[in-house]
Amino acid sequence: MRGPAKAPSASPKAQSKPAPMVIENRIRVLRFHHHEMTQQALAERVGVSRQTINAIEGGKYSPSLEVAFLIARAFGVPLEEVFQAATKARK
Amino acid sequence: MPASFEEKSVWIQFVGTGLALGGYFLVAGSMLARGVTAMPAYAALFIVATVLLVVLLVAGHVVAAIASRPEGRDERDRLIAWRAEAGSGWLLAVGVLAGVTAMVFAIETVFIAHLLLLSLFASEMLGFALRLRFYRKGV
Repeated sequence: MRGPAKAPSASPKAQSKPAPMVIENRIRVLRFHHHEMTQQALAERVGVSRQTINAIEGGKYSPSLEVAFLIARAFGVPLEEVFQAATKARK
Repeated sequence: MPASFEEKSVWIQFVGTGLALGGYFLVAGSMLARGVTAMPAYAALFIVATVLLVVLLVAGHVVAAIASRPEGRDERDRLIAWRAEAGSGWLLAVGVLAGVTAMVFAIETVFIAHLLLLSLFASEMLGFALRLRFYRKGV
């Protein structure tokens, strides 16, 4: 009796697994285009601490959808102009 | 990046708890080693450690509030607290299970009490350390 056929490259389980994703943002650029809006000013508009804005801008924290929409609203742009999902290359 | 009031608060709790309860365990450990098993002797020491902890926390938070205006917790602070709690709660559970096991073997109450207290202290300290790590490295 023949055993199960082997997949030529990766296993089906590995193939079905979504690629790791990183959330990139353009907050620094948008702040620049909004008269060098300070992190503090943006934080006050969004209702979070300045350190949280700093962490989001530096990619150390992914905000909730609510905060993400509030940031986009503060700049008057759609969400996808602030945040973009990039696929991390697998090693 | 300068620390937020919440992060400073965690530092104050980390240092304050480490000094007050760490000091308690140093003294209580030496007392246990000398064979002191009467609970009232430890109760007095524990009251002193608790008062010291409250004084350190109040003084630390007053200084931190003067240095930077408290902004209140936001979603990042809450997420950091939840993740740290999830990563440190197991230490308390281990202590409780060890305490129950010690009861089964009829170990003296003073040892069981200190085992439970030590696991609470270790769990809290690990929780503070994790929160500080998440604030710096990200969540």
